[in-house]
Amino acid sequence: MKPAQYRLTEIRAFYRANLALEVDELTIASGRLHILAGPNGSGKSTLLSILAFLMKPSHGEVVFAGTQVDWQGKQLASLRKRVTLLHQHSFLFSGTVSANVAFGPRARGMAKENVQRAVGESLAMVGLDGFESRDARHLSGGEARRVALARALACQPEVLLLDEPMAHVDKQSAQIIESLVVSLSGQGTTVVMSSHYEQLGQRTESKVIRLLDGKVEKIVEGNGEAPSRVVDGYRYAKL
Amino acid sequence: MKSRYAIGLLALLLACSLVAAQDRLRMSTTTSTENTGLLNVLLPPFERECRCKVDVIAVGTGKALKLGEAGDVDVVLVHARSLEDRFVANGFGVNRRDVMYNDFVILGPASDPAHVKGAKTAADALQRIAGAQAVFISRGDESGTHVKEKEIWAATGINPVGRWYRSIGQGMGEAIMMATEERAYTLSDRGTYNAFAGPKTDLVILFEGEKGLFNPYGVIAVNPKKFPHVRYDLAMKFVDFITGPTGQAIIGQYQVAGKPVFFLYQAR
Amino acid sequence: MGFIAESFRTALSLIFSADQDVFAAVRTSVGVAAWSVLLAAAFGIPVGVGVGISQFPLKRVVIVVLNSLMAMPTVVLGLLVYGLVSRQGPLGGWGLLFTPKAMIIGQTLLAVPIVANYTLSAIKGADSRIVPTALTLGAGSLRSMMQLTREVRFGIMAAVIAGFGRVISEVGVAMMLGGNIRWYTRTMTTAIALETSKGEFAFGLALGMILMAVSFSINILLTFMQESHQP
Repeated sequence: MKPAQYRLTEIRAFYRANLALEVDELTIASGRLHILAGPNGSGKSTLLSILAFLMKPSHGEVVFAGTQVDWQGKQLASLRKRVTLLHQHSFLFSGTVSANVAFGPRARGMAKENVQRAVGESLAMVGLDGFESRDARHLSGGEARRVALARALACQPEVLLLDEPMAHVDKQSAQIIESLVVSLSGQGTTVVMSSHYEQLGQRTESKVIRLLDGKVEKIVEGNGEAPSRVVDGYRYAKL
Repeated sequence: MKSRYAIGLLALLLACSLVAAQDRLRMSTTTSTENTGLLNVLLPPFERECRCKVDVIAVGTGKALKLGEAGDVDVVLVHARSLEDRFVANGFGVNRRDVMYNDFVILGPASDPAHVKGAKTAADALQRIAGAQAVFISRGDESGTHVKEKEIWAATGINPVGRWYRSIGQGMGEAIMMATEERAYTLSDRGTYNAFAGPKTDLVILFEGEKGLFNPYGVIAVNPKKFPHVRYDLAMKFVDFITGPTGQAIIGQYQVAGKPVFFLYQAR
Repeated sequence: MGFIAESFRTALSLIFSADQDVFAAVRTSVGVAAWSVLLAAAFGIPVGVGVGISQFPLKRVVIVVLNSLMAMPTVVLGLLVYGLVSRQGPLGGWGLLFTPKAMIIGQTLLAVPIVANYTLSAIKGADSRIVPTALTLGAGSLRSMMQLTREVRFGIMAAVIAGFGRVISEVGVAMMLGGNIRWYTRTMTTAIALETSKGEFAFGLALGMILMAVSFSINILLTFMQESHQP
């Protein structure tokens, strides 16, 4: 049995003096697709930032793949090489599409020839073959989102986090992204994706984590059919 | 591509520097000495002879001597005898030699409102200016000229104070230009005046010739015992050159606007 | 009016006759300024980036100090460095006074606050997503900072151009630390000061025109380089 990808305990996180996230206990299983659902301001982005090791909770413990996270520089740098977050409004670096997608491989010291191949493969996965020399600033919304996804995929992370990846994109891009996400988790990548559309969880074999006001409201273990179990034991902390 | 020629251009810019590996003699002198242009004819033959380069730093006499006191130069060429004597007495300089002389003159507007033209002595002239409260421009920078001016005021017993007495803290050129603008009086060395007379100033010489206005130039090597790093060898070469036959000939023949600027001591 | 026309004619004749003094002064001006700006960039850009992206208790104070240093009078800076490099000073043994090296030290110190400040501005105006994006893609702090710097390179080039303008046009530091030695430390600006002190206003203005022409050309070149790299 593989260890859980993440174990979060007693997490408290603030955003501008407000308590944005309050989670007593949460497990993210390895190699599975998780969907974070909930309205705006429910804490989805905050949770994703913590899982991406970009934000340190002010209180609480995170265990990643069996190792406790001590939030020190050195450990963080190596952890971030295993986890990649696709931001909601992702920022593409100035330059070509290829320069963007190659960023992750280059940061990992990949050899030049391999970098080029990795870029080509990632772009193919998102259906943007031949986009290498396009200017990253001159893309449509859907294309830009897919380039950002390709850039994240090129990192070949153990964990892929996505913040509203299908919001405001054209139907074709949304379909490509959804099928990609499903196939990745099928191949063993742990995927955590936030989305407004809970129905997505019903379409796919995924675990849906519903957040409300920074707390976990409900967790639904899915198996591709109608939800069979509702796990309801994760309640609010008493202060 | 573009970054490449940028780098190339950068390299070109940097090549514009600035390294000089030769033997260098550092000399401080006064701005008025440099402004006469004498050094432009005097130094090249010396540089050829000693196979060195002379760095001339032209500032006011006060600063020129201070540079010597700090050991920032190797040799000093100034014209303020009392200050020079103090410089040597305090152990900063050695081998002081007379080089040349000229004189000071009192300049003023042709209209001469203070009636300086009839004065019997320099002190009398300044007294008339003070009495008339006519505008007088003072160098105010501890230069040779300023030191001489202070000596004359001391002789009059007057302490010059008031809106008519303007101490500007600048060189002789600036003082003459200001006096020209203000139609004022000033004390100047003859050499600088000759260089300015005609095109740049319409001031005229209203008093001259008194022994007290004598302006001797001295050259002093900075004391190597106090500052072991100074180029004493080159300094002495320069001292010998400027007081020797070649240097003296150049000085004696030097002219500005058809008039000689410096005079030699007899019988070297 | 005639005075300006005469200066213009003098300027042209100086250029076409390849006047030695003028060319030497131009070379010194440009060389000293170039070195100073390069060194100032080497120090100022990292300082600007570092202060820009860090959070530390005295950050506001540091920014105010950097801002005020931009207004440092050149003569004051000249005096401070003079005190250091004169034989009487702590660095006297190095014999730097009245050499181009001393001028470069002074002008670098003059330019560093400018480069740092403009860089800081560029960083502050940068998209806040740049560094988190780089980090999540696996970059370490150094690589992330370099990416940030690359994203604001337009603003950083502006910093360099501003620094260059400041140093090539100043006279206080050059005069005090260089001594205005003919063919060695005489720059265009100290040459102009000299001619003015001799009452040679037209000639001084002619030199000024040449200096402006050189300055404009270099700035046009730098701006051209900046634009070709514009993100």
